[in-house]
Amino acid sequence: MPPIDCEDQELLEGFLAETTELLEKLDDDLIALEKASEDMDLMNRIFRSIHTIKGASSFLGFDLLVKVAHKTEDVLNRLRKGELVVNPGIMDVILEATDLVKLLVSDIKAGDIQERETESTIAKLLPLLLESAKIPQQAPEEPSIVVQPEATENETPIEAPSEESPASDLPEEPVAAPDKPTPQPPVSGAVAVAKPASNVAAKKSPTPPKPAEGKGGDDLSDNTTVRVDVKRLDDLMNQVGELVLERNRMIQINQDLHQGENNRADFQEEFGKLTKRMSFVTSELQMQVLKMRMIPVEKVFKKFPRIVRSMSRDLGKEVDLQIVGEETELDRSVVDEIGDPLIHLIRNAMDHGLETPDVRLAAGKPRCGTLVLAAVHEGNQIIISIKDDGNGIDPDRVGQKAIEKGLITEEQFAAMSQREIFDLIFLPGFSTKDKATDLSGRGVGMDVVKTNIKKLNGIIEIKSTKGLGSEFILRLPLTLAIIQSLLVEVEGEIYSIPLSSVLETIRVDQRQFHLIGGQEVLKLRDIVLPLIRLQRVFNVQQRNEPSDFCYVVVVGAAEKRMGLVVTRLVGQQEVAIKSLGNYLANIPGIAGSTILGDGRVALIIDPVGMTEGCEGAISR
Amino acid sequence: MNNALVPVKVDDALGELIQLVSFRLDQEEYGVDVLKVREIIRMPMVTRVPNTPFYVEGVINLRGKVVPIICVRKKFGLTESENDKQTRIMVMDMDGELMGFIVDAVSEVIRISGSEIQPSPAMVAGGIDQECISGVINQADRLLVLLNLERMFSRDEKNFFNGM
Repeated sequence: MPPIDCEDQELLEGFLAETTELLEKLDDDLIALEKASEDMDLMNRIFRSIHTIKGASSFLGFDLLVKVAHKTEDVLNRLRKGELVVNPGIMDVILEATDLVKLLVSDIKAGDIQERETESTIAKLLPLLLESAKIPQQAPEEPSIVVQPEATENETPIEAPSEESPASDLPEEPVAAPDKPTPQPPVSGAVAVAKPASNVAAKKSPTPPKPAEGKGGDDLSDNTTVRVDVKRLDDLMNQVGELVLERNRMIQINQDLHQGENNRADFQEEFGKLTKRMSFVTSELQMQVLKMRMIPVEKVFKKFPRIVRSMSRDLGKEVDLQIVGEETELDRSVVDEIGDPLIHLIRNAMDHGLETPDVRLAAGKPRCGTLVLAAVHEGNQIIISIKDDGNGIDPDRVGQKAIEKGLITEEQFAAMSQREIFDLIFLPGFSTKDKATDLSGRGVGMDVVKTNIKKLNGIIEIKSTKGLGSEFILRLPLTLAIIQSLLVEVEGEIYSIPLSSVLETIRVDQRQFHLIGGQEVLKLRDIVLPLIRLQRVFNVQQRNEPSDFCYVVVVGAAEKRMGLVVTRLVGQQEVAIKSLGNYLANIPGIAGSTILGDGRVALIIDPVGMTEGCEGAISR
Repeated sequence: MNNALVPVKVDDALGELIQLVSFRLDQEEYGVDVLKVREIIRMPMVTRVPNTPFYVEGVINLRGKVVPIICVRKKFGLTESENDKQTRIMVMDMDGELMGFIVDAVSEVIRISGSEIQPSPAMVAGGIDQECISGVINQADRLLVLLNLERMFSRDEKNFFNGM
């Protein structure tokens, strides 16, 4: 391995950026190829990607990478020429190889090139290159046949046998297998030895690549550089040009005023116009810059077909993953954070939600389960939903488990609404599984979902009907830098509440408040809303005469709802979030600060921190 | 503290000239390294921040940056006084972050040589943490207490600020 030449740093960075991009696309394409093996365009694109990676890495002298990429390219080339036909076995080997390429690339990126073990993967690729590995032409349908029985065989969701069964007990396989050895005799001895190996490799392959799958790609994605459409940049430049003109105009008006050339009325009119234009240009500019920070949610979504594929093979379930709205754009900071929660939700749907084909058939559903991952804009929020048509959440079972684990008491359970019961699944340590598997059962996943969504000021909703499926709906703010907020006044002090978490505001008579165990609550339609007096939490001094009426801002944080009691509502404003700095970063209930029009600093309330403070108060 | 305010070992810094900003606080004069001071401003409007230590006055808007403000009098356990025309905020660079300190008045920038700095006398009692005093300068007509404000939040406060 030659050391990375520092002089070529720029070249190297270019290589890494390009390769990373290609590899991200590659995963997606490969999964697509498995479904549409006839698609020549797709095939060619995949081939070109690998070819480019190979070419670039050989130019830079990354030998290991070249070796792996080269062999993968050869296999793809045979697929392309129709000498091989795509089937899950081959696909597993190719995916394993791309994972290895990713690993090698991330090594290069990290700057320490290690001697990775590449031989075993290459060894799996090699048999596919031999003449004898040619798949008989009379069985072009084979791949599709193979996929199906594989899943059917697994009546029991026990992991280990499910992997073996497709290879050994397939009714179709024996028919296809005898065909394969037929071309063998004429070939030389060396190949004959290799031949059985190819069979073994192809069949065993589902097992070894598992640990690598789904990982490799994560550490590759790089968020330190942004690629911006030239057009967007030009637009931005135009806007800045306009801004400069307006500034000049402002200087002019100021000068005129000082020299007394303008009378007061003129000045007012001019200044009014200027203000309007300025505000127009700045909001345009703001939009432009925001757009540059936006990336399609596809960046996260495209990881999932691969994950779903490997999970469905592991679990012996048939899943049709439908992705809707992957072009929906959202802020990169949000995109970075939603990957993990989505993986957990998908795992959850796959593992707990969807049933095995037989159970499904017995329940009168189509054998293949559907998992819909959808993203859509709604106002200044993005809504991501994960919907499965599995068996839904059983409230009784969830309740029983929670009682067993000592998370709630029987009495508490009896008093719970369905919604509250669903919320139990977010508790750390909660799982309906009796035993933890490598997929689920530790009770960590949903807690991760909750924490991450809270961090983003998002809201989670669960809709579920027993027997028909569940839907998890995530409502997230579009961006974290500039937010819509509701300004409220608490005894003379102005606070800002992110509008994304505000559900409604109501004006109520304080006499309508009830007291349950020292906690003030408000009956709001059919729910009992816990109340938090901001004045008390923030130790604000009473300034005005206490009045009977006050305003309650109903906020939602993740799956929780509560009411914040304030003196007055000031209005809605778009505010830029400013951090309070390291020293004041962790004040409970405060998410940050912003600067108001008059230059004052207003604190932004963190509804999530609020809920926690509230929980703490109750438990104490 | 790699670039401590004042060389603690007096011998090492014999001939070295140090510039200090001197400020007044309840009759006493203090000094801090000029390089740590970003700017000195008058009292602007301060927004109170709830649930912070008593000596955190709040935050201010410093040309679009939100800067926390510490009341040094409160921090040092001195009697509180009304802000007047002389009251200033010294905006200091604390490990890369800006932080403002309210002082009674800022006097001047003085030059002293390292050899003039004496180790601080053993403190009997009082609100000032010994740690943030890095020495005293005993001149004929004045006594200057050298402060290292970065050490002001040494243990407890940093824990408080980070561990909440």
